[in-house]
Amino acid sequence: MGDGNNSNRGLVSANAANRNNNNNNGSHHKKPEWLQQYDLIGKIGEGTYGLVFLAKIKPPSPSRGKSIAIKKFKQSKDGDGVSPTAIREIMLLREISHENVVKLVNVHINHADMSLYLAFDYAEHDLYEIIRHHRDKANHPLNQYTVKSLLWQLLNGLNYLHSNWIIHRDLKPSNILVMGEGEEQGVVKIADFGLARIYQAPLKPLFENGVVVTIWYRAPELLLGAKHYTSAVDMWAVGCIFAELLTLKPLFQGQEVKGPPNPFQLDQLDKIFKVLGHPTIEKWPTLANLPNWQQDVQHIQGHKYDNAGLYNVVHLSPKSPAYDLLSKMLEYDPRKRITAAQALEHEYFRLEPLPGYNALVPNQPGEKVINYPTRPVDTTTDFEGTTSLQPSQTVTSGNAVNMQGGHMARSVPRAMGVGMPRMPHQSMAAYNLASQAGMGMNPGGIPMQRGVSSQAHQQQQVILPSRNNKDVTEWFQESLRLLLG
Amino acid sequence: MAANFWTSSHYKQLLDQEEVDVVQSLDKDRGITLEDFKLIKMHMANYILKLAQNVKVRQRVVATAITYMRRVYTRKSMTEYDPRLVTPTCLYLASKAEESTVQARLLVFYIKKIQSDEKYKYEIKHILEMEMKILEALDYYLVVFHPYRALSQLLQDAGLNDINMTQLTWGLVNDTYKMDLILIHPPYLIALACIYIASVLREKDTTAWFEELHVDMNVVSLLKAKLCERGESIQFLLLGSCIEFVGCCNF
Repeated sequence: MGDGNNSNRGLVSANAANRNNNNNNGSHHKKPEWLQQYDLIGKIGEGTYGLVFLAKIKPPSPSRGKSIAIKKFKQSKDGDGVSPTAIREIMLLREISHENVVKLVNVHINHADMSLYLAFDYAEHDLYEIIRHHRDKANHPLNQYTVKSLLWQLLNGLNYLHSNWIIHRDLKPSNILVMGEGEEQGVVKIADFGLARIYQAPLKPLFENGVVVTIWYRAPELLLGAKHYTSAVDMWAVGCIFAELLTLKPLFQGQEVKGPPNPFQLDQLDKIFKVLGHPTIEKWPTLANLPNWQQDVQHIQGHKYDNAGLYNVVHLSPKSPAYDLLSKMLEYDPRKRITAAQALEHEYFRLEPLPGYNALVPNQPGEKVINYPTRPVDTTTDFEGTTSLQPSQTVTSGNAVNMQGGHMARSVPRAMGVGMPRMPHQSMAAYNLASQAGMGMNPGGIPMQRGVSSQAHQQQQVILPSRNNKDVTEWFQESLRLLLG
Repeated sequence: MAANFWTSSHYKQLLDQEEVDVVQSLDKDRGITLEDFKLIKMHMANYILKLAQNVKVRQRVVATAITYMRRVYTRKSMTEYDPRLVTPTCLYLASKAEESTVQARLLVFYIKKIQSDEKYKYEIKHILEMEMKILEALDYYLVVFHPYRALSQLLQDAGLNDINMTQLTWGLVNDTYKMDLILIHPPYLIALACIYIASVLREKDTTAWFEELHVDMNVVSLLKAKLCERGESIQFLLLGSCIEFVGCCNF
């Protein structure tokens, strides 16, 4: 194509530090010019979409040595160009900026092989690994401060997304990253927006997008066949993650039914009902309208469940604020489920220990700092995804704990990271309200999303130029006369 | 933010008319005037519409595709970026962004069906290559806001949401894409202008309603400077739409 070295390649300008890389002499190098600014360390993740690599920024960039996660999207197999998932992810990431959301640093296109690369600030940890470490290695629970801080930051990022009409749809521990050593140590970053959606005005029911993700964090309304997502599905997932942070075990570990598309996940519902009891029409009135609830009468409605008691499962006193918050996240009726904004205001976060910026380092000076393992890196794979024959090795920092070889095979994309400029949250709220002026109303009869009512009164406000309307009328009529002769 | 116009890249990237009306030097060298430039873009907007009617995508996809095409030509020359390839590719990309993906082979099929001119006949691989170049040219900013939603909300608020007014204003909004208005004005303003024009044409008295629209102080602070900068923008907008409308209806 010869276009890869066009000086106007449209590098994402989000990170000014990364822009000093325009040595425009690379036209005959095998490696595309933009790739030369990085030292490839190895592969850190793999999914259906492509591969994720760890790289470091080379000198002379002022950010030299900084770790970057590079997500490479494969050319779609069906010969249809850039995958719609990649398009959607770029589209959203290009618009959002929040300290608890991963930061897209750069986008690169390699015209030679038509591949697309997204570069993110690198995050060393994720909740999947942190939980696993405590469960399998450390053999002790996460301390209260860490749980609360992780949860608060997760909700903070989610509140930002929801107030901007974005549903994540695929929240799970492996998508919740935590920054390693450095300025942002212990800061949570929500990642992986491949399935995220702007839900303001979907052209198609969200349901049609064939979600193929783990079912453990899936909200009951989705399991029962609801066709329209609301931000409440993310809050259910947060509830599941909260419980998992407390117990180190997935809360509802259903057996997934494989098969196309959207098979009915009875076992997952069964696991939920066993803990939370049977949902009832009285408590959840719209339940009766959900397709799977109606169709599967003998299986779901017929089975009687004893309420095992959520508090027994998570070992919390039913009177504790933590339990109160958790049970509000795991409310069956999505319309009654607590929102991210409400959750941030919950009493749980106002009691000691207060949540903090660095979730990994306890406030108490005497407490032990846990050395979480660093992410395993497969150093035998290059950017083309070609694996050399050297034995796989794990790059670890000194404190790393034994990695398991099979670990890399996880199909879950979980890489990339962060480093956001702080967003002034107060002003954001103002923007949101303002944004609804003429923009945010209920499109074409789609069921109203949660959170809308609070903004509804703002929605009628539109801006008119300061010009007097009468003048405009006169001017307009005169123009019309002129035009029509 | 993806769904918040005032903090969106769309809002931040709004241009002035003068910035949009720049013929790239390569094109200028080939004798393309500003008038030609505008006409080519209008022609290409029609081409997108025609293709879209064949591949059956919704108006919003068309609107996004036209916006991409117009944005591309604020940065790239038609000499280097052939409009006959850029145009269908913008529709292709917009269909993905708006979640109504159209297969490239389908698009190529209809291009061949609609266009007898050999110069339009691009193949799938050309579209796929151009898709990436367009992504770059757009600097990966893909979220576009359109006046349609604001339009139906405003019509309802004004009590003008009968079939007649809805159709007329909707058509007017469609016509605004024959110009670069979407690169220049916030979508709700375009919607308001269309309602205004329609209400004058249909002799509906909307004066009171227009006066009643309250100004949101949050937005004022954001927009005040902008409106001061170009006090005549609303006039231009109305005049532009009006010209288009009159042109379409053969008054």
